[in-house]
Amino acid sequence: MHDRVGWIRPMGFTDLVRRVFLVDLIKGLRLTFSYQRPSATYTEQYPLERPMVAERYRGAPRLNNHPESGETLCIACNLCSIACPENLIVVGWARTEDRKKRLTTFTYDLSRCMFCGLCEDACPVDALELTQDFEIAQYSRQGMIWERQALEEGPRPTRYTR
Amino acid sequence: MLQDAIDILQAHPFILALIKILIVLLVLSGIVAYLVYMERKVLSFMQARLGPMRVGPWGLLQPVADGIKLLLKEDIIPAGADKFVFLLAPAVSVMAAFTVFSVIPFAGNFYISDINIGLLFILAVSSLGIYGIILGGWSSNSHYPLLGAMRSAAQLVSYEVAAGMALVGVLLISNSLSMVEIVNRQQQMGVWNVFLQPVAFVIYLIAGLAETNRNPFDLPEAESELTAGFHTEYSGFRFALYFLAEYTNMVVVSCIAVTMFLGGWLRPFSSVRALDFLRFAPVAALVGAAAFVLWLGLKSLLPLERYFFVALAIACVLLAGLVAVPAVLNAVQGIFWFSLKVLVFLYAFIWYRGTFPRYRYDQLMAVGWRWMIPIALGNLIVTAVVRYFVSTWA
Repeated sequence: MHDRVGWIRPMGFTDLVRRVFLVDLIKGLRLTFSYQRPSATYTEQYPLERPMVAERYRGAPRLNNHPESGETLCIACNLCSIACPENLIVVGWARTEDRKKRLTTFTYDLSRCMFCGLCEDACPVDALELTQDFEIAQYSRQGMIWERQALEEGPRPTRYTR
Repeated sequence: MLQDAIDILQAHPFILALIKILIVLLVLSGIVAYLVYMERKVLSFMQARLGPMRVGPWGLLQPVADGIKLLLKEDIIPAGADKFVFLLAPAVSVMAAFTVFSVIPFAGNFYISDINIGLLFILAVSSLGIYGIILGGWSSNSHYPLLGAMRSAAQLVSYEVAAGMALVGVLLISNSLSMVEIVNRQQQMGVWNVFLQPVAFVIYLIAGLAETNRNPFDLPEAESELTAGFHTEYSGFRFALYFLAEYTNMVVVSCIAVTMFLGGWLRPFSSVRALDFLRFAPVAALVGAAAFVLWLGLKSLLPLERYFFVALAIACVLLAGLVAVPAVLNAVQGIFWFSLKVLVFLYAFIWYRGTFPRYRYDQLMAVGWRWMIPIALGNLIVTAVVRYFVSTWA
């Protein structure tokens, strides 16, 4: 009998008792009752609460500086600009007296950026990084084009209550 | 001055009745509004989410916002709709739902009237509510409302039979149709009717769910099935009236179940002297409510909310102190126990909505006619036979 496809066992006594006393219904009721505990509530009350963002989330770009000297890590190699599928990075450089390339301007157009992270992967010195900041809405298109100063400041996260 | 007032009240008894009606109407409307809020919150917690949180502290002003929104909405009447009937239908629903409250006893001494055919009156008037649904569905001149109304009306009529028979079982024990008398009999017998008629209780509960179009019998108004059933074409205030009527029906069914089966305003084990400390339950409940409100306030994210909740907790504690005064405690007993039991039922209604899947329409009708009615009839026969033997041997 166990090998017949679609065989439905006839209702035994236990099944009848479970039907009459609504046992399965009560098990369901217990489950939903148990969901009422605060630890089961999944809602994140943004913007009152800090939202959970993944570590690898690709958000607003940031130009990193050297932690001790404070100088920019960027070597103006232009690899990020070449890697970008939207061609929205413009790296400005100039040669100084000691014939080294130094970064002068760095323009990043956030309005066309798709946050693919190819620029971040291309950078050989980990100067360009996509942070976890997602609150980058601006009031004008001009505000979406970030210069070096804005990029070095880094994200401006909202202050959360919790 | 007080004597003059009492003289006037005795000369014109309808003034007191009018005052009671006003109190019941206002309190009931408030309860129904916050029942909607309670449903949204309880349902959301069961679904691992938070529900309304933004409109006031913990969403407490949501019913106010909903009320204002519904009042300000555009009043649309479909082209080709039967205008008079379209306007009449929600009023009929609301009328039937609210009229039942005139015979429900909220406490030993607080009821609008106690007619000696109270139960019959209740069954008759709540059946009139079906008219509101049919008229609304038909007059909308649209196929979804018509289908929803027809299904709903058929469902309601079928489960009325089962509910009525379950209540007749209680009638057989209580010898009276008067609601107050039924509760008094439970007090005299010292046991609630639910222990004498458990089958009738379960049947009435299930039939009550079907009567109010609640889950798992809510096919006529489920959004995925019939857009919105009979109230699809209604908007604004008329929709609010239908909504009000539906939730009032829920409260009506709960009140009737409490009065008939759970001893109305009686304390649990009212004849057991040893459990007299239960008289302090209102005080304990208020103190518990204060603690709960305080805990909620501490979890709040905005300082304004926190202050509000602390103030509310202090108010609850003061109220508990007021209720602890023996005179007030005795006066509040009946209404407290009644409200507590009705709240448990309403919570159960919401609990079922959060748990059970919906019956398909043919399954619904099959359950009503093939299971509920025969079981109710069987219960009646057994009760009658047992009663006969008890009365001949006792």
